[in-house]
Amino acid sequence: MPTDKNNGHGNTVVDVQKLTKKFPDPMTGEEFVVLDAISLSVEKGKFASIVGPSGCGKSTLLNIIAGIETHDPSDGGTLDVYSDSEVAEPRVGYVFQNARLLNWLTVEDNMIFALESQGISKDLWRERVDKYLEMVGLEGQQKNYPLNLSGGMQQRVAIARALAIEPDILLMDEPFSHLDEITARKMRFDLMEILMRANPTILFITHDLGEAVFLADNIYMMSTKPARIFKQIEVDVPRPRKPEDPKIFDLEKELVREFFSVLDAQELEDG
Amino acid sequence: MSEKATAVSIRIGSIFVLIGVWYLFAKLMADVEVLPGPLAIAHAIWGVLIEPGPEGKSAYFHVGITLGRTFITFGVAMVLGIAIGLTMGLRKVIEYSMMSLIPLALTMPTILMVFLAVMWFGFNEIGSLVAVVGVVTPYVAVNIFQGAQAMDKSVIDMARVFRADKKMLIRKVYIPQLLPYIFSAFRFAFGMTWKIVALAETFGIKYGIGYMFFFWFEQFNMELVLAWIIMFVILMLILEHGVFARLEHAAFKWRPANKLQT
Repeated sequence: MPTDKNNGHGNTVVDVQKLTKKFPDPMTGEEFVVLDAISLSVEKGKFASIVGPSGCGKSTLLNIIAGIETHDPSDGGTLDVYSDSEVAEPRVGYVFQNARLLNWLTVEDNMIFALESQGISKDLWRERVDKYLEMVGLEGQQKNYPLNLSGGMQQRVAIARALAIEPDILLMDEPFSHLDEITARKMRFDLMEILMRANPTILFITHDLGEAVFLADNIYMMSTKPARIFKQIEVDVPRPRKPEDPKIFDLEKELVREFFSVLDAQELEDG
Repeated sequence: MSEKATAVSIRIGSIFVLIGVWYLFAKLMADVEVLPGPLAIAHAIWGVLIEPGPEGKSAYFHVGITLGRTFITFGVAMVLGIAIGLTMGLRKVIEYSMMSLIPLALTMPTILMVFLAVMWFGFNEIGSLVAVVGVVTPYVAVNIFQGAQAMDKSVIDMARVFRADKKMLIRKVYIPQLLPYIFSAFRFAFGMTWKIVALAETFGIKYGIGYMFFFWFEQFNMELVLAWIIMFVILMLILEHGVFARLEHAAFKWRPANKLQT
């Protein structure tokens, strides 16, 4: 579980230090390392992204931060999530690969589910629902049911639900990977708009370097088996960004080259 | 004619065909003691509805008794079945032990279960309750257990991330996912319950529709036996299709229209 300490963390919202996670192999019972001494931090109002190949343990890391997977302190490392408020537990918003809506509840009741779960005062529900539905471009859909919406629109509801609790940290796990490329592209532009309007703190996981470079303020590059962070870079391009901006484009090319050299080296090592 | 209108007229037509066949057989047999014709039965039903029967008890009295027994035993059997099914989903010990006990109950012929229940617990309300619980509860439990297993773990994780408490989880996440299983168990279980109650009454529990079957059967009065059977079937059809189908429709309005099955 994330702990919260309010003293002396400055602007840091998520602070992960040398976090290691081991799983027992279901066949042999032998332990193997999934996450190997991961260190990263996310500053308030910043967009951090972790990029790595599929199945490298990125989601495990996010689930540990969200508190739905456990981290055994004896494996090593620390994890802290800090709240803005002095008293409250840190609020964690989560957007999954698929929308994970409650299909039997209307769009607004899905959002209210998160608001009520977080213990947010009933007086604020109406305002939050309307504000964030408008922000994701779904004004007027309050009373609709999720199964009447397209996959992209369902994911927008999931984003509105996570934003509505005004989280200290918004975790996003490849939120556009299940959408067709045209829809995903539109969603990335709209997410950038939201960043500029609401300025949330985000930790975003993706296997798509272009997506990371386009959206993030800083990028952690992760190798696989076990997951290790081998490089951290900052993307110093002001928003709004354009994917065809030469600076963005060059950075993406450079990172792709670097990624392949690391993965190739790893493959040689593994034989 | 639209497809729906055709379907409705075929459904109504087939009932008239059945009545026609019945009429012909009754004519051919020409023995009112064994198979009275439809007109005689219609007349008998009318008589039952307007005049008090044996011991001065009206038809409405017997219908009320049977409905009361059906609803109460059905409620008990459903609640027990849902509770057992859920605990099977939550506790492995319960799952394994129930998985060896439930098939025994499901294999047992219904008529024997009813017979044993009234022999052991008496020809009274307890006997009919035990009979219904013995037959219906295992079926409901298995259905709910399957529903518990089929629950989508990903939305449960979502609810945990947003810190939903137990009450929210049960009301907004578990129950709605179980509802289709509860409804399918509900309809099937209701059909079984009223048949078992009628059977138990036929075996000799005082009053009720089944008791009237038996009463008139002992008097060799086929006309009134058939009149009661037809009244019984019509009553249960109205309950199942008029009431439960509507409830189910209301509970699943979140499903897009093209996926709606009734």
